Amino acid sequence: MEPKTKELEGEIKKLSENYAIKADMISISAHQIRTSMSAIKWIIEMFLQGDLGRLTVEQENLLKKAAESNARATSVVSELLLTNRTEDIVEQKYNFAPLDLVELTENSIFNFSGEAFTRGIEVIFLKPGSEVPKVKADREKLLVVLHNLLDNAIKYSNAHGKIFIVLKQTDGMIQFSIKDTGIVISPEGKTKIFQKFYRDKEAVKKEMVGSGIGLYTVKKIVERHSGEIWFESGENTGTTFFFTIPTFK
Amino acid sequence: MTKSILIIEDDDFLAGLEATKLKKKGYEIFTAPNSVEAFKIIDAGTKLDLILLDLLLPDVDGFMILEKIRQNKNMLTIPVIVFSNLSEDKDIQRVNKLGVSDFMIKSNFTLDELAEKVKDLIGE
Repeated sequence: MEPKTKELEGEIKKLSENYAIKADMISISAHQIRTSMSAIKWIIEMFLQGDLGRLTVEQENLLKKAAESNARATSVVSELLLTNRTEDIVEQKYNFAPLDLVELTENSIFNFSGEAFTRGIEVIFLKPGSEVPKVKADREKLLVVLHNLLDNAIKYSNAHGKIFIVLKQTDGMIQFSIKDTGIVISPEGKTKIFQKFYRDKEAVKKEMVGSGIGLYTVKKIVERHSGEIWFESGENTGTTFFFTIPTFK
Repeated sequence: MTKSILIIEDDDFLAGLEATKLKKKGYEIFTAPNSVEAFKIIDAGTKLDLILLDLLLPDVDGFMILEKIRQNKNMLTIPVIVFSNLSEDKDIQRVNKLGVSDFMIKSNFTLDELAEKVKDLIGE
C-alpha cells in the first residue's frame, strides 16, 4: 500500500509541475502575442487617422475590418489568460484574514477606471454612512471576484451607462451588489449563468469573444468564503449581481 | 510650458509609436529602453511631468524601477502610468501598492486613448 501511495504522490507532484510550466508558457506567449497586437492596432489607427496619407474608401473599410479582427483576437488572448489561471485561483490555498471591503472596492474601481473611461461609463460607489465591519476573506481571491464582476458590468453595459456598487451590512454578513444598465440575462441563462463555460446568448450578441469562465470562478470563490451569490435581471432594471461574505469575528 | 514625459519601453517600435503620438499632442518626450538609461535621465534632474512605464524590461523590471522612483524624494508624486501587456491581478496589486496613476493594458487601448489619459493627468 505504502509504495503505491508514494508512487501516486510522485505522479501528482509531476502533474502539478507540468501544469505550472504549461500555465507559465501560456502566460509568456500571451504577453508576446499582445505586444504584436498592440503594434498592429496602433499602426491601423495611424492609417485610419490619415497620419500616413489619404485613404480610399475601400482601403479605409478594409483597415476597419482588420482593426475589428485584431480586437477580437485580443479578446481571445485575454480570455485564454483568464482560463489559464482559473483552476489555480479556485483550488489554491486560501489565506483568510480581516479585510476592508470598502478599500478593496475602491481599489478595483480604480483598476477599471481606464476601461470605464474609454466606454464613457460612470462607476458610482455608494458607501454606507456608518463604518463597514471587516470581512473574513482572502484578499487576492476576492479581488478576482470584484474584477470579474466589474469587467462584466463594463463590458455588457451600454455606452455612457452607469454602474452602481453598494455595500450593505446584513446579519453577520456584508452584502456587495453591482448593478449595470446593460443586457438582460436570458431565461435559459437564469439557471445556467454560473456553469463553467456557459455564455448567455445575450452576452454573446454583445461580446462575441468570451470563455464563460468568469462567473463560474466568482461563484466558486464566494462559496469558499462561505458566502452566497445570486443575481436579478429585468427589462427595465438592468442586471444586478449580489454576493455576501461573512464579517470577521 | 511644455510638459515632459519619460517613456520606459524596451520595444523600440512600440516606443517610437507612443513617442510620435504624444509628440504630436505637444509633449516633450524622452525614451529609455531599460533602467540604466531611465535613471540617467531621472538622475540628471530632467524636468518630468509623467512617466509611462512598461513592466517587462531586459535588465531590471518595471516593478523595481517604480520602487526606485518612489524612493527618490523628487519623484514621490510624479504620475506614473503603467503601460504593459501584463494583466494578472498580482501585477496590478503590486504596482498599486507602489503608487501609480493608472494601469493600462497596451493591446486594449489605442494611442489616442493613451493620449487622452495623459491629458487627464497632466493637461496639455
